[in-house]
Amino acid sequence: MSQATMTRREWLLTDRPQSRLQARLGRAYVTWRRFTANWLAVVGMLIIMGLILIALFAPLLAPYSPYIGDLAGKRLLPPGAGHWLGTDDQGRDILSRLIYGSRLTLQVVVLVAVIAAPIGLLVGTVAGYAGGWLDAVLMRITDIFLAFPKLVLALAFVAALGPGIGNAIIAIAITSWPPYARIARAETLTVRNSDYISAVRLMGASPWRIVLRHIMPLCISSLIVRVTLDMAGIILTAAGLGFLGLGAQPPLPEWGAMIASGRRFILDQWWVAAMPGFAILIVSLGFNLLGDGLRDALDPRGSSQ
Amino acid sequence: MMMGKMNARFRPRLAGAALSMLFLAGSPALADTPADTLVQAWAIDDTITLDPAESFELSPAEFIGNAYDMLVRLDIDDTTKVKPGIAESWEISDDGLTYTFKLKPGIKFASGNPITAEDVAWSFERVVKLDKSPAFILTQFGLTGDNVTEKAKAVDEGTFVLTVDKPYAPSFVLNCLTATVGAVLDKKLVMEHAEAKTPSDDYKYDTDFGYAWMKTNYAGSGPFKIRDWRANELVVLERNDNYYGEKPALARVIYRHVKESATQRLMLEAGDVDVARNLEPGDLEAVQKNADLASTSAPKGTVYYISLNQKNENLAKPEVREAFKYLVDYDAIGATLIKGIGEIHQTYQVKGVLGALDSNPYKFDVAKAKELLEKAGLKDGFSVTFDVRNTQPVTGIAESFQQTAGQAGVKIEIIPGDGKQTLTKYRARNHDMYIGQWGMDYWDPNTNADAFTSNPDNSDDAAVKSLAWRNAWDIPELTKQVQAALLERDNDKRAEMYQKLQQEALDTSPFVMIFQQIEVAGLRGNVKNYRLGPSFDSNPLAPVSKE
Repeated sequence: MSQATMTRREWLLTDRPQSRLQARLGRAYVTWRRFTANWLAVVGMLIIMGLILIALFAPLLAPYSPYIGDLAGKRLLPPGAGHWLGTDDQGRDILSRLIYGSRLTLQVVVLVAVIAAPIGLLVGTVAGYAGGWLDAVLMRITDIFLAFPKLVLALAFVAALGPGIGNAIIAIAITSWPPYARIARAETLTVRNSDYISAVRLMGASPWRIVLRHIMPLCISSLIVRVTLDMAGIILTAAGLGFLGLGAQPPLPEWGAMIASGRRFILDQWWVAAMPGFAILIVSLGFNLLGDGLRDALDPRGSSQ
Repeated sequence: MMMGKMNARFRPRLAGAALSMLFLAGSPALADTPADTLVQAWAIDDTITLDPAESFELSPAEFIGNAYDMLVRLDIDDTTKVKPGIAESWEISDDGLTYTFKLKPGIKFASGNPITAEDVAWSFERVVKLDKSPAFILTQFGLTGDNVTEKAKAVDEGTFVLTVDKPYAPSFVLNCLTATVGAVLDKKLVMEHAEAKTPSDDYKYDTDFGYAWMKTNYAGSGPFKIRDWRANELVVLERNDNYYGEKPALARVIYRHVKESATQRLMLEAGDVDVARNLEPGDLEAVQKNADLASTSAPKGTVYYISLNQKNENLAKPEVREAFKYLVDYDAIGATLIKGIGEIHQTYQVKGVLGALDSNPYKFDVAKAKELLEKAGLKDGFSVTFDVRNTQPVTGIAESFQQTAGQAGVKIEIIPGDGKQTLTKYRARNHDMYIGQWGMDYWDPNTNADAFTSNPDNSDDAAVKSLAWRNAWDIPELTKQVQAALLERDNDKRAEMYQKLQQEALDTSPFVMIFQQIEVAGLRGNVKNYRLGPSFDSNPLAPVSKE
């Protein structure tokens, strides 16, 4: 079979790849097909992509300023033609605030993932590969962190660091790495004694090289799944801190803080609290669906193999 | 992963439990309150004692105000004056130092014991010797534990003489005596329950003057008796049949502790309570629209203000102080955020008190503010922090101010905190800007004049830490005027002096006065003659009746 007559699909799915690149692309394609076969996962992905786009183009999409309202003339207007989602107690457009708030939500999620996942990965793989006293020490520290309810520990950190979105991110990151460390350690234990690791070791690779180049990549897929599934929890924790007045500070349009300020009007002006609530619901749902889909697609022990 | 899974499984069950709770709470038995009983829903969790010598909170002021009697009472029809209470008449000596009170003859405590001048003198002695937080209202007249028996003295059964240390304005002295700390206690009854004490350096007396017993008990002579108080649950007042004045129409008044405005509104709508006392603007509006319900309101002795610390070099410029007064959107705030719970008020004396200046010259005017900022050399604006307690309405006002000040280039960073955090910082003068409330200690203009326009010593370790001190506003001249007004015996002249002080503060002070609190109450339609007075101890229950 010559290259020219091959369709792109056949080229990707061939069981005799001609190059590393082809093999990798082939694997990615298979994963992608498995992922897209799950329509719920696709919905999740679309929600998250929508969130990213909204955050990127917030200034273009928002019909009004998220910070400046018209207290005298437009306070607590119900959803309608002028303000699709109504206005809040300062006369600000809720839709515009939700759109700008998506940036904060995304910022929290991304920063927590960027901070917490590598810490967990490093702690877990080092503990799993090194074993012995290092394993014991690192895992007991992890146990201590796991022994606290996440929100309570985050509350304590924010109380110590002072309120603010930056400190909230740090607090959430500090409290969310231990599960990742556990997962990474478990993955490491299953591969540390395999033949190819022994082969690398025989070739004289240092422990650091083995951990970084040969063990971590194997842990990453399960970690990605776990992080994605956790994103919903992170958003809820951030919203919870915002609700308690310890997260984003006024006038930042953080969704949790928006719910907190809307709860005074819940009987008569339900939309002030309900709209950010819906936003949190939809985005959390999106991350959960995406995470489930990713787990099915990335799991090498899945049914299709 | 475990936690996530558990949550997912438990969430529906939790939701079910929560929903059933909701239904339980939302379907109260539909029973009207008895015709001779007034049931009020009110957040009464600030009540920590029922002892007039110690109580200094809002809700107990109302219980004590209705259950005890003082020598003189505030006239709620003309709040610049006092009217007789236990005293029938009084005379002031020419040197202004001696006050002679003649008591009404033949009157009795709820216990049946006669009220004598001895009870009055002993009540004063008790307050001064126990020396709890409100005691300063009496000790500021020069009363001390050593001299009180001489200075506050029963001459005979029906004559009480009070000697003060300076020729104060008589209105000042009489106004102070209307405070709950001036309540007259049944000496015989209280001393039956007094506990013996071992005198020490801190406490020099061999009795506790019934302090322990009085925390939860009652020994007064007002139109009502306090029958029961269960903390954070309820207070029951009962008609005092020994009261000398007109007997109340109601047999009892029950206060139920309900904290949330929305809950109070639902209870009022369902007829579970006759009066709801903590309605927020949204709920108040719904109550006012309901044909079965009514509402009443009265301005109270609490003002809300934004203050500018003069230690901040930008805020210390007089033009900046003035500019900030033009940057509050008074009209919008008055029409929305504080609607029904406050009215715009730009002077620091509350409406209704002697010498109050009713003047609201400032309007929201960005152009004018910008002009003033340019004059101060701050054409491009500046950044400043703003400590805000995270409760309403101050958070809403702070956010509104953040927006409006932003239009003049002033960038405000709000630092929220709980009451204790912000207040601690404020008291240590470490803030830039602060938004707070100030409640009068007693119904006399001196209390606010002393707070806002008196600062005897502006150094960091001053003994007197007034609001002016907290904002490092150094005003030796105004401080002198406040002291002079306190000794002015001509009432009209005294009022004039306070007006002058307020005008000065209006023009130059670092206080951006925003509004005066209004207390509102939602009522069932059948409640008659329910009135609110200017202070919590003058919310009279005696005239109230139900149809």
